[in-house]
Amino acid sequence: MATTFADQLRSLPDEALGALIQLRPDLVVPVPADISALAVRAQSRNSVARCLDGLDEFTLLVLDAARLSRAADTALTSVDAILALAEGAPAEDTRVAVDRLRVRFLLHGPPEALQIVGAVDEVTSPYPAGLGRPADYLDAQAAALCADRARLRRTVLAAPPGARAVLDRLAAGPPIGALNRDSVAEPVTWLVDQHILVPVSEAGRAPRPDGDLVELPREVGMLLRRDTGPLGVLRPVAPVPDGPSRDPQAADSAGAGQTMEAVRATEAILEALAAEPAAVLRTGGLGVRDLKRLAKAAGIDEAGAALLIETAYAAGLLGESEAAPARATTPAQDVFLPTGAYDLWRATGVAHRWAALARSWLTMTRQPGLVGRRDERDRPVNALAPDAERAGAPQARRESLGTLAGLEPGAAPTVDDLLGLLSWQNPRRARGREAAHRDAYFGAALLGVTGLGALTSYARLLLADGETDGGDPLGVHPEDAHADAVRALDRLLPAPVDHVLVQADLTVVVPGPPEPELAAELDVLAEPESAGGASVFRVTPASVRRALDVGYQAADLHELFRRRSRTPVPQTLTYLIDDAARKHGGLRSGSAGSYLRSDDEALLAEVAGDKRLTTLDLRRIAPTVLVSPRPVARLLGALRDAGYAPVAEDAGGATVLTRPKARRAPTRSARAPETAGPVLTGPRLAGVVEQLRRGDIATRAARRAPVTVRAAHGHAVPGLTAVQQHTQAMAVLQQAVRDKARVWVGYVDSHGATLSRLVRPVSLSAGYLRAEDERGESLHTFALHRITAAVTEE
Amino acid sequence: MSGGPLIVQSDKTLLLEVDHPDAQACRMAIAPFAELERSPEHVHTYRLTPLGLWNSRAAGHDAESVVDALIKFSRYPVPHALLVDVAETMDRYGRLQLLNDPVHGLVLRGLDRIVLIEVAKSKKLAGMLGARIDDETIAVHGSERGRLKQALLKLGWPAEDLAGYVDGEAHAIALKEDGWTLRSYQQEAVDGFWAGGSGVVVLPCGAGKTLVGAAAMAQASATTLILVTNTVAGRQWKRELLARTTLTEDEIGEYSGERKEIRPVTIATYQVLTSRRGGAFTHLDLFGARDWGLVVYDEVHLLPAPIFRFTADLQARRRLGLTATLVREDGREGDVFSLIGPKRYDAPWKDIEAQGWIAPAECVEVRVTLTEAERMAYAVTEAEERYRVAATARTKLPVVKALLEKHPGEQVLVIGGFLDQLHELGEFLDAPIVQGATTNRERERLFDAFRDGSLRTLVLSKVGNFSIDLPEAAVAIQVSGTFGSRQEEAQRLGRVLRPKGDGRQAHFYTVVSRDTIDTEYAAHRQRFLAEQGYAYTIIDADDVLGPPLPKID
Repeated sequence: MATTFADQLRSLPDEALGALIQLRPDLVVPVPADISALAVRAQSRNSVARCLDGLDEFTLLVLDAARLSRAADTALTSVDAILALAEGAPAEDTRVAVDRLRVRFLLHGPPEALQIVGAVDEVTSPYPAGLGRPADYLDAQAAALCADRARLRRTVLAAPPGARAVLDRLAAGPPIGALNRDSVAEPVTWLVDQHILVPVSEAGRAPRPDGDLVELPREVGMLLRRDTGPLGVLRPVAPVPDGPSRDPQAADSAGAGQTMEAVRATEAILEALAAEPAAVLRTGGLGVRDLKRLAKAAGIDEAGAALLIETAYAAGLLGESEAAPARATTPAQDVFLPTGAYDLWRATGVAHRWAALARSWLTMTRQPGLVGRRDERDRPVNALAPDAERAGAPQARRESLGTLAGLEPGAAPTVDDLLGLLSWQNPRRARGREAAHRDAYFGAALLGVTGLGALTSYARLLLADGETDGGDPLGVHPEDAHADAVRALDRLLPAPVDHVLVQADLTVVVPGPPEPELAAELDVLAEPESAGGASVFRVTPASVRRALDVGYQAADLHELFRRRSRTPVPQTLTYLIDDAARKHGGLRSGSAGSYLRSDDEALLAEVAGDKRLTTLDLRRIAPTVLVSPRPVARLLGALRDAGYAPVAEDAGGATVLTRPKARRAPTRSARAPETAGPVLTGPRLAGVVEQLRRGDIATRAARRAPVTVRAAHGHAVPGLTAVQQHTQAMAVLQQAVRDKARVWVGYVDSHGATLSRLVRPVSLSAGYLRAEDERGESLHTFALHRITAAVTEE
Repeated sequence: MSGGPLIVQSDKTLLLEVDHPDAQACRMAIAPFAELERSPEHVHTYRLTPLGLWNSRAAGHDAESVVDALIKFSRYPVPHALLVDVAETMDRYGRLQLLNDPVHGLVLRGLDRIVLIEVAKSKKLAGMLGARIDDETIAVHGSERGRLKQALLKLGWPAEDLAGYVDGEAHAIALKEDGWTLRSYQQEAVDGFWAGGSGVVVLPCGAGKTLVGAAAMAQASATTLILVTNTVAGRQWKRELLARTTLTEDEIGEYSGERKEIRPVTIATYQVLTSRRGGAFTHLDLFGARDWGLVVYDEVHLLPAPIFRFTADLQARRRLGLTATLVREDGREGDVFSLIGPKRYDAPWKDIEAQGWIAPAECVEVRVTLTEAERMAYAVTEAEERYRVAATARTKLPVVKALLEKHPGEQVLVIGGFLDQLHELGEFLDAPIVQGATTNRERERLFDAFRDGSLRTLVLSKVGNFSIDLPEAAVAIQVSGTFGSRQEEAQRLGRVLRPKGDGRQAHFYTVVSRDTIDTEYAAHRQRFLAEQGYAYTIIDADDVLGPPLPKID
């Protein structure tokens, strides 16, 4: 069969072969040696599965029709047989679909004898088009029932409503249902009794815990699908989403508004992070409480904040850094902080900033929609945590947006419409990706990639750029690759303004995005009240003071408002500035090492002018006060030396009297007198004596110990390693057990002290040496690994 | 980019540039759903609140029209998320309805079953709902109508109240328009109120709120209970009603500390309603004394808490709240809205002034410099006494006198908050004082003397804050007040806003001690009026006291 397949390939004209390779590019990676190899590859499971992944719902159903219409003996089918099965769709559409399958070589052979590539059955559902296996394959009685069409129809029509519902569900596919082992529902029992459902036990499969399976035979399924045709509902063309169509201009405008909002919120989040960095959790990611705080700072919900934080991180605007520990005792902890790139980012225009965010969002392998959900261990997923990593996320975003881009400009499908469309286009690929697609849809709305649900014109350009770059294996593209998108967006965004409107209630309105210079000025001298298309600031005494603190003079502030304001500056503001300036600096503060005060101004003047005291650097801060950076003691000494009569004051102002002190060493507590020890009597005395005797014996015994034993404690016996010594000691001990001889044993006790003992070994087993002591009074146990040496008594 | 007059902010405020050619059209378009928050001279601020959006839903606007208005007038692209939010918020209105069921009485019906289940489970509604009638209907205890509406509002699922109003006992009342007619904004206010059923009308002091009340009564033509702040204000209501409507002396009763008359139109004071005997409110029965068709709350921003609670039980009757400033220093504006009703009419002060219905006013803050001795006294005062010390500085006296001399021949009110200071002022200026302890008879006598011009200067304590109709007063000088109360400031300005016969300007002076907490409070007090577009001028006391001394170089 492979040869025929190969022969067919071989006989193809070059263009057709080229078309095949274009449609199934994986066939030539790497380039096969010859056509036979190509044929083998084209029939392989992987390649067939990949090819099927790229097909739409209708084409896959036509393929199912081909599988269903195979003749039992030859396994061949024909275009006509397929057309007969797919009666619900226009024949022309079906033919086109068959051609699609033939150029991909999923079907091959002449139209009247089509053959299906074997691997198709392996990689697709065993129930083509959701139909069960034929009745005669499943069960003889069911086959008998199905053979009699009229009886079958009668039986089905006689089904009670419960049973009918079960039938309808199975007929819609998949045709398999699990029986509840404990209590089989009554309708199902009825169906099984009537042989409409056939219990099946799949070979090679472990018995299911929830009971046996039942299958709806193919014939019954097709009967139940009378209304729609044997293949079920056929949709030869993509479903048209019935969402409203937007004016593309309105969509662009709403999207542009949203881009400003996304950029503003991102900035607010990062500023909030800069003001108070958030700790990196030990499991990675950002804590729930921090997320709440940042969301609140930006004035958006937590899901939105999570998306922007993830995007900012992907864009490199946000990073981890080691924070200085708050207290010396706490360990250093990583925190999230805006990066240096953030400052660069912030200096660019809104459109650039947005493009940087959108680009990162498109390519980041994260699924922000997972944040706040619970993972399989029922723990909430944190923003920036590893749990929200999804390798397929960029692909899902491309698919969603690509599908949107394929629609009419201004088309605004609902998320369900979009998912339906995606699942029609690539049913095999879309399955299991619904969450990712949904996430992409909502992310696009939040970032202003879509406006009013429709893809915006500038996002279209951004996507197009991305696609041409798709071939770049390194994914590196120059910064200006998105210049078109940025330019298009820029046209939609408001132009920066350089003037303000000042009002009598001391609010300052910037009617548009402020120029950077203006923004910096207002940052200093007013409190922000509201942001968005315009910004509203309020001038308060505190904000004016702040401006004075950074070096503005009252005149500068007046001039600034006069220059920037399109409206006359209200008198209240002028007055406020003058008032604040008048009070500013009314109190002065500094630090000094010591002060010198006197009610006698003349005396102070004399001191200040005294040449002998120049080293004190005295400065007159009030008629009656001098200060010096030197400590009090030095000041006093110098003044006294110069013949003045100063007196020191303590912190409360009381006079501190001093008289010269004789030098003394620090006080120590006297040593306690020695007292005589307690008098020992009776048993206690006897105990002490006993202890002494034992000690004595031990000492003597130790003295008698041979040199080898003693030497082993301190330094190795010359010529022997520790291991050799130990081996030797074991040999000696074994010999001693046999001979019942007395042995000097050197060992290390539990405190690490080394001792020597003269003992008579009794046994040597299980890692322990059991031995009687010298006098045969008691049995001792020594751990063998603690024994350093053993020498028989001479 | 349309270059429109409106800028939509992320925090759901709308900035309207007043000088833009489309500003008027835009104001008309957004007024139904956005609440005017501030109206200074160049840029007015409106706010989109759930309450405002729901009210506009109740008035028949849909989300689409709101979004269209925003997009049409917006200068810059409007963020998509904000539009979605507007649509979603408006969509929450009317999922629940309060209906009068012929069988079960008052019921809560859910057009969305899930919402009904959600709110029925809420703890906040405990005790308000009765038995579940079917999947979509739950019985409501009749007395809980107000509280239920309030609670549902807090849950974010406002109910559409279709249960209607009790007509009350009919009583013919008509306006007697002889030689005067209702002003256009007064008519609009009445219409707005009537269409909405219940609610609050916000008009500046002196703009004729009493007439709005009278017109509403004429519209209702039913027995009416009028709640006012004090007896003098009650008498003024009575006088006005006698002059402007067909009501006669016999039909109007006064229910106060002195008299307890219950007539088809009864004027009661908040004070008598909240007076207790033995811990119980003895006069709340008044609410049930007749089948009132309309309840009017004068100066609704002063509504005391017990009346709040009682009003919750009055939801089946039409309620009209009147105020100049819906700023409550206790932050309970929301309760006023949900119990009396939403704001039905609001007009910026400056608009009414431009139409000539209130006198243009010049607001001046005069800063006096304390003497060294006073500064020292202030510096060493305990924190809680500081305001009193700063506000009652004797240095203010000559300044007040100098101000009086600047306006010879004009009727002047001197208003203060501290009695000692007022007595000093009274002596210094040789003017009589009206304070809490003054008898009603004495008050009437002094006010009458002031009205006929035989008395030129009157010193008022806090009793002068409200509801005193002294049309001739053209100058008000306030020397001290209740800390930073914004509404007190507005009410005091209101005393001089009655349009003058010759259209001359009113003057409103505040004498403030420089560099003390007095200045800070003054700034806070002025915020409401500044946001209404009154531009305060600040001058030094020296400029008032006389020409600067010639300098000798």
